[in-house]
Amino acid sequence: MTKLLLFTLAALSLTACTHVRPWERGKLAHPTMVGPNLPGPAEEHVYAVHEGAVGGTASAESGCGCN
Amino acid sequence: MQLARARAGLVLALSAVVLAVCADASADEGDAPAAPAEPAAPPPEATPTAPEGPPTAEGVAPHGSNVTARASAEVGAYMDSTATSVLTPSVAGTVENPTAGWGISGRYLVDVVSAASPDIVSTASPNWKEVRHAGNLGFRYKPGNYGVSASASTSYTPDYLSLSGGAQLTQELDEKNLTLIEGYGFGHDTIGRTGTPFSVFSRTLDYHSIQLGASRVVNTGLVIGFFGDAVLERGDQSKPYRYVPVFAPDIAARIPAGASATTIANSRLQARPLEQLPLDRNRFAITGRLAWRGDSTTLRFDERGYTDSWGQRASTTDARYFIDASRRFTIWPHARFHVQNGADFWKRAYSSTGVHDLPALRTGDRELGPLFTFGGGGGMRIALGGVGALDDLVWTTTLDGFYTAFSDAIYVTKRYSALLTTGMEVTF
Repeated sequence: MTKLLLFTLAALSLTACTHVRPWERGKLAHPTMVGPNLPGPAEEHVYAVHEGAVGGTASAESGCGCN
Repeated sequence: MQLARARAGLVLALSAVVLAVCADASADEGDAPAAPAEPAAPPPEATPTAPEGPPTAEGVAPHGSNVTARASAEVGAYMDSTATSVLTPSVAGTVENPTAGWGISGRYLVDVVSAASPDIVSTASPNWKEVRHAGNLGFRYKPGNYGVSASASTSYTPDYLSLSGGAQLTQELDEKNLTLIEGYGFGHDTIGRTGTPFSVFSRTLDYHSIQLGASRVVNTGLVIGFFGDAVLERGDQSKPYRYVPVFAPDIAARIPAGASATTIANSRLQARPLEQLPLDRNRFAITGRLAWRGDSTTLRFDERGYTDSWGQRASTTDARYFIDASRRFTIWPHARFHVQNGADFWKRAYSSTGVHDLPALRTGDRELGPLFTFGGGGGMRIALGGVGALDDLVWTTTLDGFYTAFSDAIYVTKRYSALLTTGMEVTF
């Protein structure tokens, strides 16, 4: 039940937001907002060795929406 | 249980924050005049490009050209208190056309590893040195609201060959305010022993990975996302070099955490079996991601919850706060915290009555035991390009330190480590 509640909240949070137009995306396109993988290869390797967990590397930032 | 509660609490808090922000945004919209039937035209002075710096991979190409080429080089240097050091030089390149939606990329790196950890010393083995070569190629094409990307990777050491590939589909909805991704990957690893051909001795490990995720633009400065990963591993991934000490039952119960190599050598049974892990592992992770941009600062925050069929549970929190000191100079503090429990079969000291009574599953891999790691540091980014093209030449340097506590391991109970990286990126 708790997991279902969390999932529902997460799903709601993805649908209840405002609508950002293409010309309002200046901040979203900033270099610090759009990097898909902020850690470099050496840093990623350290985490892969130090931590017994995987995942979390996927990203889908909307960026500038310029095409 | 406490881990699970903490993870659930973090996800709940993240969802609540997003809901609250969305509610504020909706209220703002409610106060505004009714939206026209057609999307309003952009103000003449506004463009969809970044106003605070040159565009990047996702931005509009500079110099009036739609094709951008970038090359970068990075060197990473790692050292820790268990006498392990790694030097990682890498080069990468990208050619892309952001407006047409295509891009190709590649990276090649070398890991030069030197280790003399207590585990190695305890087996009277010489210091261990290894060079790993790794590379990947990627392609993406997203001409409109739908896109596809594919990548292939390989990694090679004399005793380990890894080949993997994958593809990802992207769908943008709600005028690019909601992005969905679905991905699949497959990997095939061959595990051997240095100096022995794979044809004489090798094991294989296959893995399938599935990714599902959604990213939502909440307002003009906030993006959130939730991403799920499932990795199904099949094969024997036991290390062919890792010997596990075993003890008589009454002795095993008295082996303390952090017991020295001498204590272990004087207490263990003569039998010294190799590591043996389960032959399959199902791993699952869900990650919440937040990116917020203010006037001259950016917050990036990730929270990952993890569980697997070996009984491990983990929580990883990562945050960076970028501060634009000037148009050319950005600095950021970075913090990371990781905590996990041990695998079901993890034991500080395995007990046995003899060679015919060895534990079926056994490991000496501290990363399969309970631990926590706290890391902190930061970085700086200096744009060295000319006026109007500041990001055509960028120098980035990061320095992070980590403290890891192993609460239930022999030889080592804590580890201090540091990672320094420095790199340059050139845009043509």
